[in-house]
Amino acid sequence: MSEENIIELVNADIVQRDHVVLSDISLEIKTGEFVYMIGKVGSGKSSLIKTLNAELPLTKGEGTVAGFNLADLKTRDIPFLRRKLGVVFQDFRLLSDRNVYDNLAFVLKATDWKDATEIEDRVLAVLDKVDMTNKIKSMPHQLSGGEQQRVVIARALLNNPEIILADEPTGNLDPQTSIDLLQIFKDLNEQGKTVVIATHDYPLIRRFPARIITVDDQKIYETVITKKEKG
Amino acid sequence: MAVKVQPQKLKKRISRSYLTSTISISMVLFLIGILGLVLLNAERLAKYVRENIGFTLVLNDAVQESEIDGLMKTLSATDFVKSVEYIDKETAAERLKVELGEDFMGFLGYNPLLSSIDVKLLADYATPEKLVVLEKKFMEYPQVKEVLFQRDMVNIINENVKKIGIILVFFSGLLLFIFSALINNTIRISIYSQRFIINTMLLVGATNRFIRNPFVKRSVTYGIAGALAANVLLFILMFTYSQELKGIVDTEDYKIFAVVFVADLLIGVLISWSSTYFAVNKFLRLKFDELFY
Repeated sequence: MSEENIIELVNADIVQRDHVVLSDISLEIKTGEFVYMIGKVGSGKSSLIKTLNAELPLTKGEGTVAGFNLADLKTRDIPFLRRKLGVVFQDFRLLSDRNVYDNLAFVLKATDWKDATEIEDRVLAVLDKVDMTNKIKSMPHQLSGGEQQRVVIARALLNNPEIILADEPTGNLDPQTSIDLLQIFKDLNEQGKTVVIATHDYPLIRRFPARIITVDDQKIYETVITKKEKG
Repeated sequence: MAVKVQPQKLKKRISRSYLTSTISISMVLFLIGILGLVLLNAERLAKYVRENIGFTLVLNDAVQESEIDGLMKTLSATDFVKSVEYIDKETAAERLKVELGEDFMGFLGYNPLLSSIDVKLLADYATPEKLVVLEKKFMEYPQVKEVLFQRDMVNIINENVKKIGIILVFFSGLLLFIFSALINNTIRISIYSQRFIINTMLLVGATNRFIRNPFVKRSVTYGIAGALAANVLLFILMFTYSQELKGIVDTEDYKIFAVVFVADLLIGVLISWSSTYFAVNKFLRLKFDELFY
């Protein structure tokens, strides 16, 4: 496997329970790339992201993410892989029993941050990036979908991850909020982060063009947007 | 900057749920405490009954007082005798007179009774097999003319004590199992309600131990609180009804109370710890999709 590929799959099967979602796929994503993953609902985009995040095991083929061998990943090593990833979940996955600050502080405490002042500074810094400092005391259920999504992005940025994986980050958002979020991802990519976004928000892809991988019929394909498609 | 604020409603809801869980644990531990007291006192009662089993050593008529003293000292020095009591002929006659309700010496014209020594044994030696051995041993003393004891009564007492002991232990074991299952269930339900939170914690890079520790710490704290509450209730019950419970529970025996107190505390901590540990572990192992089944 190549060292410059931060994500690499070779002849891998993506399996959800006993069902093979993607079969014998190979994928290379280089450090600092911005990649869209597109495809119909149920095509396997989320399953692919879950495999990269070690939520689903890689049972066939080979794969590495940020230097971790997915096929041979021990349970005790999974948290350390996840610390190199910033994941933006489709359904937010915020901790519903605590406010925005505590949601973010939890991640830092869980990843060995000890100093309370440093934790507070870091939380404020990432919330500032997504313009959410005014909601720091709010509970997740008190936030709109767009606001929750921003908090999730802030959470993903906390530990300065090498890779950002976003699963339908604009799925429930209005066009303007979607554009604002995509701009955040673009900025992060310009700072050197590898960004992988699963989406079927084509207008947004046209606005922020980048490499596209199509997921369809249990396979993945490289797709090039032509001038006509760009409209 | 004070940002660690939870809304009042949520705080109230959380404390109410913990309060309910602690009350359940304390009620169960209270019952376990009562059971422990009964069990420990049953042993005391059995010991008391066994230690009232004894021999009567009927002495030869010609035995001198110094020989009797010597025999009493010898018996007291053995490791199987709890107490000895010398009953001279006159005392024996007085007691029999009271028992019969008539003056038997009046029409006999003399006292036919002999002096004797009542020997009470330690509980461990009050078994039919050991009594036979001891009977032989007593007969070897030249001062002893005859050894009397109620063989059948000894058998009946021992058998009943054994039966009651077995029933109590079985019943206690069963109740302990049921109570443990109840506490375990209460804790599991409370953790089940947080299964999605546990799963999310995993997804943001927390290790199993980091996720599990706060649950375990909180649960053990409630286990301790529940045990303390149970013990307070137990003391109140024992001392309020000490008159009614006389004979069943010895309210003066603080050692038994200490044992029950510590046992309640240990059971509370152990059940809370193990139930939480395994319940959290279960949800740490499950995939997100499996949390719905």
